[in-house]
Amino acid sequence: MGGSRVRLVVGTPVLEANDRVAAEMRAQLAARGILAVDLIGAPGSGKTALLEATLRALPPTRRAAVLVGDLATARDGERLARWCDQVVQISTGQGCHLEAAQVRAALDQVDLAGVDLLFVENVGNLICPVGFDLGQAVTVGLFSRTEGDDKAAKHPYLVEAADLLLLNKADLAPHLTFDRAAFEADVRRLQPSVELLDISATSGEGLPAWLAWLEARLAGLRR
Amino acid sequence: MHEFSIAQALAVQVRQHAPPGVRVCEVEVRIGPLRGVEPDALRLCWEALTLDTDLAGATLAVDVLPWSIACPACGRHWESGVPFVACPCGEQATVPSGDDVLSLVALTVDDDADTAAAERPARPARPERAVAHGR
Repeated sequence: MGGSRVRLVVGTPVLEANDRVAAEMRAQLAARGILAVDLIGAPGSGKTALLEATLRALPPTRRAAVLVGDLATARDGERLARWCDQVVQISTGQGCHLEAAQVRAALDQVDLAGVDLLFVENVGNLICPVGFDLGQAVTVGLFSRTEGDDKAAKHPYLVEAADLLLLNKADLAPHLTFDRAAFEADVRRLQPSVELLDISATSGEGLPAWLAWLEARLAGLRR
Repeated sequence: MHEFSIAQALAVQVRQHAPPGVRVCEVEVRIGPLRGVEPDALRLCWEALTLDTDLAGATLAVDVLPWSIACPACGRHWESGVPFVACPCGEQATVPSGDDVLSLVALTVDDDADTAAAERPARPARPERAVAHGR
């Protein structure tokens, strides 16, 4: 020991490799006019239920593909395959989030011909998925009333990163003590202008507004 | 536990940037508060991942940037380790903001190894530049 120590300045993003794959996918999907949506939410927030309701409600002129990440089981993929013929289940094993290379590999199994919307259902987790770019055009954060009104404040990373926030389980509002105003106040402190929609994947409340938001983003992408 | 994935990506980058034959002593990373990275968890993952490898013993210096807090009532600005804090003036609804940087800032290497000088490529350390953002 005791040789000459040299400090080498590097200054590169740690997730450079992931970001490169993501950027390539984003460019490819945009060139094909496909809106890629990264859906992030806690376990039990209703991500799969929302996608089931969304796939059912899509107009016949719109074609979707779904990539769904889970630590284990293909149950979500099986649920979604009832409503969509382009579903790929990604088993992450121990992984708490999806990474761009996993999405790339899954995307290679999808027939993208005629696809307008690509939904990527991330692993149920409000923290880890946020920092990993998957090549999505938009990030949608899904919260639900049963999780409690403090979740935006406790998970500022998702609130800051989201292009849209959905608050699911509106149908349960009469049975819960969820303080909607307090939840929104926390959201606004983090991102004053983010859109926040109340929805119920079960009753269908708010779905038209969610579909209209997707259509507007799709039109923006294709403009 | 996204810290493990970050440690893996970091090890790949360190190996890319360290000249051959040198021993890496220290790895400096800078992390913005929007990354939600736990420095202790990252260090633990780094140690587990580099154990018995060419990077064994390289310490991780983690610079976690603070949140910037602004008070809409009195106009005060300060830095905080947590995003939601009340202002000394009594205002509860302060506004947090933060950076999402996640970068490998620098490596400190020891080129005492016998062959290091001869094998070292002409790859001078780059001058400090603006840190690239993750996204």
